[in-house]
Amino acid sequence: MVTTRHQFASPLQLLALASAGIILLPLGYVTAQALSADPVVWQRLWTTRIPELLFNTVSLAASVAVVTLILGVSTAWLITRVEIPGRRLWEGALVLPLAMPTYVLAYVYSYLLGFGGPAEYLWQLAAGPQARIFSPHSFWGATLVMALDTFPFVYLLSRSALLSMNVSFEEVARASGVSRMATLWRVTLPLMRPSIAAGLALVILYVVSDFGAVSLLRYQTLTYAVFQQMTGRSDNTAASILSLLLVVIALIFLITERWFRQRSRFYQTTGRYRAPERHRYGRLGSFAVISYLGLIVGAAFALPTILLIQWSLSAEALATINNRFFGFVWNSAILAAGASTGGVLIGLPLAYLACRRPTLLNLSCLQAAYAGYALPGPVAALAVLILFTTIAPVFYGSVLILIVAYVIHFLPAGLQSLEPALQQLSPNLEEVSRTLGLGMRDTWRRVTLPLVRNGFVVAWVLMFLQTMKELPATLLLRPVGFDTLAIRVWMEASEEYFQLAAPSALLIVVLSLPALALLVSKDWRAA
Amino acid sequence: MLFVCSLPTLCRTIFSSLFLLFMVGAFVPSAPAADSLTIYSGRSERLIKPVLDAFTATAGIQIQLLSSGTTELLNRLKAEGDRTSADLFITNDAGSLELARTAGLLRPLNMREIDRAIPSQFRAPDNAWVGLSGRFWIVVYNRTMVQPDQVTSLLDLGDPKWKDKIAIPNSGSEYLQAGVSVIRATYGDDKTRQFLQGIKANAENQVYQKSSQIVDAVAKGQVALGIVNHYYIYRHLATQPDAPIAALMPDQQEGGMGAIMNVAGVGILKSTKHLDSAKLLVEFLVAQAGQKLFAELDKEYPLHQDVKADPALVERKNFRAALVPLTKLAELREPTLALIEQVGLR
Amino acid sequence: METTLEGNLFTPASSVLELRTVSCAYEPGRPAVQGISFSAREGEILCLLGPSGCGKTTILRAIAGFEPVRSGQLFLSGQLVSSPDVTVPTENRRVGMVFQEYALFPHLRVQDNIAFGLRHLVRSERAARVQEMLRLIGLEGFERRYPHELSGGQQQRVALARALVQHPVVLLLDEPFSNLDPDMAGRMRQELHDLLRRTKTTTVLVTHDHDEAFAMADRIAVLNQGRLEQFDTPEMTYHMPATPFVADFVGQADFVPGTVSHGMVHTELGEFPDTIECKDGTAVVVMIRPDDIHLVPTKGALARVLSRQFRGSENLYTVSLPSGQIVHSSQGSTSIYQAGTTVEVRVLATHTVLFRREDSTG
Repeated sequence: MVTTRHQFASPLQLLALASAGIILLPLGYVTAQALSADPVVWQRLWTTRIPELLFNTVSLAASVAVVTLILGVSTAWLITRVEIPGRRLWEGALVLPLAMPTYVLAYVYSYLLGFGGPAEYLWQLAAGPQARIFSPHSFWGATLVMALDTFPFVYLLSRSALLSMNVSFEEVARASGVSRMATLWRVTLPLMRPSIAAGLALVILYVVSDFGAVSLLRYQTLTYAVFQQMTGRSDNTAASILSLLLVVIALIFLITERWFRQRSRFYQTTGRYRAPERHRYGRLGSFAVISYLGLIVGAAFALPTILLIQWSLSAEALATINNRFFGFVWNSAILAAGASTGGVLIGLPLAYLACRRPTLLNLSCLQAAYAGYALPGPVAALAVLILFTTIAPVFYGSVLILIVAYVIHFLPAGLQSLEPALQQLSPNLEEVSRTLGLGMRDTWRRVTLPLVRNGFVVAWVLMFLQTMKELPATLLLRPVGFDTLAIRVWMEASEEYFQLAAPSALLIVVLSLPALALLVSKDWRAA
Repeated sequence: MLFVCSLPTLCRTIFSSLFLLFMVGAFVPSAPAADSLTIYSGRSERLIKPVLDAFTATAGIQIQLLSSGTTELLNRLKAEGDRTSADLFITNDAGSLELARTAGLLRPLNMREIDRAIPSQFRAPDNAWVGLSGRFWIVVYNRTMVQPDQVTSLLDLGDPKWKDKIAIPNSGSEYLQAGVSVIRATYGDDKTRQFLQGIKANAENQVYQKSSQIVDAVAKGQVALGIVNHYYIYRHLATQPDAPIAALMPDQQEGGMGAIMNVAGVGILKSTKHLDSAKLLVEFLVAQAGQKLFAELDKEYPLHQDVKADPALVERKNFRAALVPLTKLAELREPTLALIEQVGLR
Repeated sequence: METTLEGNLFTPASSVLELRTVSCAYEPGRPAVQGISFSAREGEILCLLGPSGCGKTTILRAIAGFEPVRSGQLFLSGQLVSSPDVTVPTENRRVGMVFQEYALFPHLRVQDNIAFGLRHLVRSERAARVQEMLRLIGLEGFERRYPHELSGGQQQRVALARALVQHPVVLLLDEPFSNLDPDMAGRMRQELHDLLRRTKTTTVLVTHDHDEAFAMADRIAVLNQGRLEQFDTPEMTYHMPATPFVADFVGQADFVPGTVSHGMVHTELGEFPDTIECKDGTAVVVMIRPDDIHLVPTKGALARVLSRQFRGSENLYTVSLPSGQIVHSSQGSTSIYQAGTTVEVRVLATHTVLFRREDSTG
């Protein structure tokens, strides 16, 4: 078959363009609606709600960043540089908080720290019956919950920076007469800086986009406000405006994270790697270290899980485990399966083209897919809603628009696994196949796909498990009576029916664990 | 599809059947059975379900209930248009029903049962919506923390002396929106704005999605006062008779506004395919049987003249209701929303 | 497999591969290779030699069909396969290719790797061919291994077997020995050479190592910055380089300046015949190889040894001539002269290689 000079990928390229379009189009609509809004509305929002919302969002992000900085870097340093009994266990344990969705942690803490809850009780034992501790439904409550849930990002990044740091830097410093403490300050930490910065940017991105925790804790951030606008008003103009603002902020931090991630690559040194020497502390020191780590893991994961188990075993909770409950599980599973399948099918051409034919167009399409990170749940939902009601209202109220919103929001997570899998696939393999007489189609079938299958599966599983936990978009877009596990947790928890929410919450946490295992072994930034 | 081809046949079959199953489940809307009704309810499930269950028991008609926020449901109905699967729309607030009516969603009803049972000021002129039960937006207070004479008017809650001592509903709450509409209609924008700013400052974080949470907070002593629909207070007392809370009817003084009244109501959607069944339900709800349920189960004030409210409630004739007509609540809505947003209530 | 029917113009019957003024470019205006013409006869081993970036891999890929041709024509077995208008897809060309990293399919066993392109045969035929190949490369018994279970050398042999099993029109090798350490590479080269001779496979081999090229090739194409500088046998390339670049690339070369006068070139090292027929007074350089220069330590001589590099089989001396010109001389392994020794420099070249001075690089 003679062919004139052409690029095979025309159908593939069209597919990639279409995918990028699917992702950017809703965002475009939101932007258009926001920008075409009456200036009066803009002005009103700017003078009333926006300052407060911005302040809340930014201050929360800042405080969480500070706390996670301390927690993350300290735990990373302890894990890599100190001899601790049971170190491997602690390494695993410190990542566990990522399995807990923020809304689950928030609801547990609104019980623990709530009015008349156990923490207050304990405090009153010590400080008298009128003493009050800080309410969970406040800035500090939100900070605590978000920090406990997101510090593993900083921990993981710092840890990998420490592990890959060539110990010769520190040795050179010590050989030049600098003390241990000063070496830490002047050499180790600066070398870790890009990784730490990337981790913090990720944490901030997470905090800014979060809906679950802030809604249960009733802390007014931009994301929460978008949701409230969407449910409390009949027109979406104000919601669009707030969304636009939110997207801009998220984009800033997304770009920051990527920039620092790039920088951190330069700081990784080649040359023989030698494991750093570990400090040994005496009994007391080890005990202190273990207590510190135990406190963190306990607060962030162990205690909440124990509570959940306890609640799930209560009579009221057990009574809810009936057909209806399994219906919710099925709903969650169906949605997640649809979203993952859609996501992987869309992500594959994008990633493949960006790897094999890195033209500006293909690379841009891939970057567009990552825009999903900058679209928090409510914004993605709003975007899809506007898009569909404008273009294809017939789909309103069906599962399809929810799946589209999921795909938009979670595609980056899938791509994080697809990209490396494709990059590992050397183009030579496909070329060799062609020299052996196989056309493009056959090559795909017998070489590319079998080799990519692993990454495919991982991407699918990751997306599946992420979408199982999703909350805001589901709340806003789900069809009549179609509740998922996450919805049940939120509904019950927002009415403070702690026990009733427990089985669903526990199930979500349990299902997140395999995803966590996968993530940590591959690329955890997608959490 | 190429991916599928690379799997062995068994996997392929499983994959395809799952896929097919999924497609069927996802896109084919499940059509409810012939004699069943789909209701979009702004009333929480817990409150409306018992009444509907009683209907099913007598009439044998199944009911699919979707309960969610009223504004959400209204938006959804507007977006779904004729394709909606809903047959009836039940809300907590006459204003939303009126909005639905003016949006052309509801079907006017010509039913003698309605005319006989429900006084005309509690329904739309063409019966497109019908009020079912009355509720008053009043003050709940903690008996150990507050004396009833400390509060006369709803507007008192804006006074700085109640800082950190009150709990209010969030700005999306239709009760709040309706209530503020009445205040605006009575006192005008300026005074209303003052009031809103006052309660915003006083409530701080104590802004709740659900009225039951407000009552809980007052009962626990977390706050001293709250603004809720009256029946939440009595429902709480019914399960926990020892709770230190009581209801206070505000604005009853000479020249005062009167207690803010709203009605929960129902309307039949124009596009319903089950008109007869829907009418049966409306009949049930306005008849004495249904009205009794609203009184006993929900602790509301039934609108049927011959049905009495629960004895625990303040007798209807012992207090005054505000004079703003219910149908006006819809017109007043938009500007009220604007005012609420301006003040920046959560 | 279909191929075009036109284009059988004027191809020498016995050439399996022919390039006629082929140019390739990755972007318009920046050609990677320009005006390349050469051909390979059946059973011949050709080598594309040059520094990195010279375009040798581009040509290889153009022959394989991975790169389109912007101008010129490429023929395989007399058929036109690449031209600006027409590119026969790789899968229809029957070229065998072995990449630098071998590119064995990691998910397939050795036998499946080798049999990969043999889908059109019956199972028994396929198995027979695979066995034959394994015997040929000396890896019988390795059928069920996976690529990651093989050593580097074994992987290369499997990659070769995979390419050869389909009896390709031409075999393309991209720097096949650069991944092996020198001893291994030396042995592999010999084995490969024998194998290719035995199977009479037409081969094009790309390398930057001139020793490799000399050892393997029947003819060498020396490339520099996209242009073909010389296409000749190894001996001719070494002894009669066409350009100073070739001279310098394939071995140590010194360029001694001189002037033409009456048919002779007068240089510091003596006189040489003017083989390029220049006018009197033309400035030329004479290319001298270290093995052409003989040193005789002589007291009072004007040249002196600067340094010595021991190379095992020889000593390479850097010598400075009275004019300051540096030359190199290869002496025997046991001839050791200290730095500073004054020596007499004698040139014992059997032929003269001259370049005009403006061409010279040195």
